[in-house]
Amino acid sequence: MAPRLSPAAALERALATRRILVACGSGGVGKTTAAAALALRAARSGRRVLVCTIDPSRRLATSLGLNQLSGRPRGIDLSRLPPPPARGGALWAMVLDVKSTFDALVTRYTPDVAARGRILGNRFYRHISAALAGSHEYMAMEKLLELTEDRRWDLVVLDTPPTRHALDFLEAPDRLMDFLDTSVLRWFLRPYFVAGRLTLKVATRTGALAIRMADRFLGLQFLQDLSEFFLAFESMYDGFKERASRVHALLREASSGFVMVAGPSPLALEEALYFHRRLTEKGMPFVAFVVNRVHSDPAREVRSRRRERADVPLALAARLSETLREQQVLARAERRAVARLEVDTRERPLLVPELDHDIHDLRGLAEFGQLAFGSPAPRPRATAVAR
Amino acid sequence: MLLDSLFSRRLVFLTGKGGVGKSVVGAAVAVAARERGKRVLLVEVAAPLEAARLLGGPPSGGRETEVLSGLFTVNLDPAAVMDEYVRHVVKLEMFTRRILESPIYRRFFAAAPGLEELMVLGKIMVLEEARARFSQKPLWDLIVVDAPATGHGLAFLKVPLAASAAIPAGPIGHNVRRVLALLRDPRRTALVVVAVPEEMAVVEAVQFHGLAKEELKIEPAAVVLNACHERRFTDEDEAEVLRLTTEGATGDVERDVPLPAALRAARRQIRRRKLTRFYRDRLRRTLDAPLVSLPFLFREAVGLDEVRLLAGKLEAA
Repeated sequence: MAPRLSPAAALERALATRRILVACGSGGVGKTTAAAALALRAARSGRRVLVCTIDPSRRLATSLGLNQLSGRPRGIDLSRLPPPPARGGALWAMVLDVKSTFDALVTRYTPDVAARGRILGNRFYRHISAALAGSHEYMAMEKLLELTEDRRWDLVVLDTPPTRHALDFLEAPDRLMDFLDTSVLRWFLRPYFVAGRLTLKVATRTGALAIRMADRFLGLQFLQDLSEFFLAFESMYDGFKERASRVHALLREASSGFVMVAGPSPLALEEALYFHRRLTEKGMPFVAFVVNRVHSDPAREVRSRRRERADVPLALAARLSETLREQQVLARAERRAVARLEVDTRERPLLVPELDHDIHDLRGLAEFGQLAFGSPAPRPRATAVAR
Repeated sequence: MLLDSLFSRRLVFLTGKGGVGKSVVGAAVAVAARERGKRVLLVEVAAPLEAARLLGGPPSGGRETEVLSGLFTVNLDPAAVMDEYVRHVVKLEMFTRRILESPIYRRFFAAAPGLEELMVLGKIMVLEEARARFSQKPLWDLIVVDAPATGHGLAFLKVPLAASAAIPAGPIGHNVRRVLALLRDPRRTALVVVAVPEEMAVVEAVQFHGLAKEELKIEPAAVVLNACHERRFTDEDEAEVLRLTTEGATGDVERDVPLPAALRAARRQIRRRKLTRFYRDRLRRTLDAPLVSLPFLFREAVGLDEVRLLAGKLEAA
């Protein structure tokens, strides 16, 4: 058996060889930053990398030092960050725009102009498609498929939506397939819901009852609109389903990988543990944990040899002691939580310390990578020889 | 001051980017209201563990549970709320059961766009309107809602707006407009934006504030800046810390407190409190809502003691 790689080496190898890396984690843990930092690192080592964020607040743009990013992949100028990337290395970044991805999908997969018009003009579609909690996940899925089919990139790093539960994204393809498989759709596609035919001339008494009930608690107008919405998509269902099952398979391939980004608090790490278990159960390739914003213990970072009393004014001494002790309390709690995660998952996480400044440019992203891996981005030997 | 303004309404809606401590702030607002003798309901959405973790007591379920005297928690699970709605509208047990047990109903609910959000908001409206049977006084003096961090904090609140345009008629459309009116009424609802002193959280808070005003037509009542590092060292102290560091001073400040480590900790504290000041100033400059700071807590875990401490800070603000 090959010796097990260190976690940093395993992630480094994933950056060098895989085609998809998905950064998962609950909101506010620095997932977007981590995704961008990993993408930058792979690009500097010579790969053509696209990082795609789903976050509507455009955080990726901030951390790449840009004001805006759009739904189109945009090349990031790496020359601002010496040394130059290894040969062939380049970085693109984009933000997933849910509404325009949805529109593009409709345009691409509808059989004719009429079908297209029915969807794009539907009231439900126009107002709700982008505002839904789930539509981010579905569109991310569709986009991922589209991006991996594009040969411009060796590696796509996908940042996932900031949900409370990291699992929501993983389950999106299954949920969609499940829905498209059920009779709900057929029920909605029945003629008595379709506009103009809402006569309630339902064959069976049960059917009539169901309609009456539905009217009472949802309103027939609502159901009718919804029915039209589902009906408008009729021509696309098979495509949706087929692509959802492709994503389902894609996310389980050995060329894909998941990186779990978590905060260092005991609670966040408990969630990371749960996520790891589910990922393993689902047969999805886990690569590494990145525990971000770890509070370090200053006493472990600097050594003091002399043991005599320091010459410090009394009031200042009290404040200094308090400051050190509070930071140590936090550091200790986090160390224990990380150790527990390690025992439970048998995975050693990469630790990134809490920084005293914000990351909002390429330099900051490179620093993030360096801190996580303990070294600058590797440069492939073959490239060095070729030069 | 802040609380007087918030508590003049009966619905407080907390929102902000994930990880800013919305749940903790929500629990602190609820505890502060309870200390004032109010009967408070803390609402979680599909997150039954947060309040229990912060306040003690069992995980919150679909029924209001009293975790401290006068303070209740409830967890709104969208599917359960929908079931309750069906039971309410369809009063016959036999029919209700038939509907609720139907797989079509389950899957329809999971797939119908925006229905989950609407149901939860509708339930919150029902809670706000609930009256005691005899006195006809409001059942809850205050309802604190920890809005879910799905997508953008705003996505949740945007649903009624989108739905109101998409569903012009029928019971759903009617209720959606009532929900929207409740959220927009500054005498009934206070929207509180929670942030932390960090670039991305602050950018998002500013964006959110703007969107709330322009798109939703809701004026945020306050901004809570959580996890602040406040000034601890005087200017002379800071100069001394710098001098001692440059000198490479050693020795122990006291037992188990080596000076070099303490100096490092102190410089870290100073940098963070400067960052706090920087972002607080930026929020003050850009937003016109009152801003309240809560301290960063150096604790192993955050529980009732910590929530009480924050409630005290809110009361003093």
